Amino acid sequence: MGDVHELPRPRIAIFFLAQYIGQPVCFVGRVEKIHPTGKLFVLSDGEGKHTTVELSEPLDEEISGVLEVVGRVTNQATIMCMSYVQFREDKSPFDLELYNEALKIIHEFPEYFPFG
Amino acid sequence: SPSLPQAIMQGENISKPVLQVINTRAIATGNGPPRYRVLMSDGVNTLSSFMLATQLNTLVEEERLSAQCICQINRYIVNSLKDGRRVVILMDLNVLKTADQVGGNIGNPVPYNEGQGQQRSSVPAANPAPSKPQQQNGNLSGAGPAAPKYHAPSNQFGKASVPSSVKTPGGSQAKVVPIASLNPYQSKWTICARVTQKGQIRTWSNSRGEGKLFSVELVDESGEIRATAFNDQADKFFPLIELNKVYYFTKGNLKTANKQYTAVKNDYEITFTNETSVVPCDDAQHLPSVQFEFVSISDLENTPKDSIVDVIGICKSYEDVTKITVKANNREVSKRNVHLMDTSGKLVTATLWGNEAEQFDGSRQPVVAIKGARVSDFGGRSLSVLSSSTVVINPDSPEAFKLRGWYEFDSEGQLLECASISDVRGGPASGANTNWKTLFEAKSENLGQGDKADYFSCVGTIVHLRKENCMYQACPSQDCNKKVIDQQNGLYRCEKCDREFPNFKYRMMLLVTIADCLEYQWVTCFQESAEFILGQNATFLGELKEKNEQAFEEVFQNANFNTYEFRIRVKLETYNDESRIKATALDVKPVNYREYSKRLIASIRRNAQLG
Repeated sequence: MGDVHELPRPRIAIFFLAQYIGQPVCFVGRVEKIHPTGKLFVLSDGEGKHTTVELSEPLDEEISGVLEVVGRVTNQATIMCMSYVQFREDKSPFDLELYNEALKIIHEFPEYFPFG
Repeated sequence: SPSLPQAIMQGENISKPVLQVINTRAIATGNGPPRYRVLMSDGVNTLSSFMLATQLNTLVEEERLSAQCICQINRYIVNSLKDGRRVVILMDLNVLKTADQVGGNIGNPVPYNEGQGQQRSSVPAANPAPSKPQQQNGNLSGAGPAAPKYHAPSNQFGKASVPSSVKTPGGSQAKVVPIASLNPYQSKWTICARVTQKGQIRTWSNSRGEGKLFSVELVDESGEIRATAFNDQADKFFPLIELNKVYYFTKGNLKTANKQYTAVKNDYEITFTNETSVVPCDDAQHLPSVQFEFVSISDLENTPKDSIVDVIGICKSYEDVTKITVKANNREVSKRNVHLMDTSGKLVTATLWGNEAEQFDGSRQPVVAIKGARVSDFGGRSLSVLSSSTVVINPDSPEAFKLRGWYEFDSEGQLLECASISDVRGGPASGANTNWKTLFEAKSENLGQGDKADYFSCVGTIVHLRKENCMYQACPSQDCNKKVIDQQNGLYRCEKCDREFPNFKYRMMLLVTIADCLEYQWVTCFQESAEFILGQNATFLGELKEKNEQAFEEVFQNANFNTYEFRIRVKLETYNDESRIKATALDVKPVNYREYSKRLIASIRRNAQLG
């Protein structure tokens, strides 16, 4: 599934998960819970909804705060994570709610925000 | 004692009678809300001349008021029709027991015969039975003789209804018609209406002459209409007509409404003539009072500019009244900014004008409701009160009480750090409110081309900086920045201070070009702004320029293509017969992306709405 990084991966919120099953996406959310095995964690989006992110290899570091995950949406509407980036919130906090608002606009006006 | 229905019919003031509903019937009214006619009983008689005021319609629609329920009438009025029949309008009632709790008709009531009117049923006349309260679930009091069969046409109180007669003070019977029925083909009419808006007297003077006028908006149960009084009538009626009071208005001209000037929903509008009479009406609780449709202050951020809205808020603070001169006609007008906050935690600045500005008393943080304020994009979003707006201080309405309760008792209320959507800060250097524009808007709106300078804020990217002549040698005195003349003898002369100095200080005057998505603009940046953009202070830059050209160049290269928030002053300047718009950067700051995003999102949504 390395091809995920070659394809366009739209930014989505949990609301859109169902429409993107099987497709590569980019999801930004806040870490809520990490499974003890380190292969699963739960992220919340700007509207407070939750989704599960799965990994092929367990985490090798602590993650917390806001994360950007690139991966593919599974049939169960979870995300199979290919790579992630932690947002550094020491400089300034990331406004997840505002991000969600921006996502709504991006999806509402696809003619101005084409995905690839 | 007489029967309850009879007593009500005859105009006695029964306090809070308790009656049972036997039946309800909906009456179509064309394109208005349905009217419900109710057959009521006091256990002995029924009377069907009861109509429900439209504000109580939901009781029937939600089936709280239905056949067999028992209710207590809190407020009612009696209207007499021109044929002498009377109708009771129920304005306010409580359902004491719902139909299923009662289970059936109490007693065996028979229709009450009023004794006058067309159809009489053959029932013996007044048979005064003692008022024995029927001890059942409710207390139905009053017994009495039979009632006439009340025969009513089906659209009794519809829009095109039979007018009801009302005795005006002075004894003459006038036909009161609903506002909705007014049309230019009827010259003799009387309406009973509440003044929901009263404008100021406006005068005009043009080639055709001069005159004065004022306008009011009138409301009754059937609708609303605008009325204007000119010249003599303006003088006559302006002191008589008061906002929120109810009057009988008789005889005026009806003409097609000029929808440009008003948002009132009526195809026609009234012009008072010298035959018009305006008489106060006492019995007026049935008329709707000023109707508001409040928009929450935080929603104003998404409201397109120039919309007309109603708002309500606590006046958290207010400024002093100031007088400004209107350029157009050199008139002085009073103005006052007040700051309103509601439960959304947002603060908006509303501008009052004229008398309202002068008389405004914001002490003790009153609740202020404004109907018909105009939304402007000044400083983000602010409100302007128009001559057609209505401002009510501490209105007697549930929203006002809720607001005051929240503000005083809910700990949130007073401590809430309200964010102003009108961007009123405690005094930025320029003293003006933040007014976000894109460079394109600044140019297309011709900012700076008036007599005075204009100020605006924008987000822009530096695309060019002029290295040459970016600084000058200035007088080293503390508060003097005048350019000094190099005397070529190691001394520098300042004309303003009238002194010579052995040194000078470098002062920046940097010309940069900033651009956004549509436009670019040359802006002059002085000391603080320039130092911020270049990331170095003037003295150090002066040294670099003299000693290390390359390092000096690098500073400029690094400064290029950075994006900042600029506060800009634009003004038309004339120099040797040539006029040019000059822009100066008063302040340069890093972009606050959160606020910028919010503005963009709001702007996108606004533009999307405009289609």
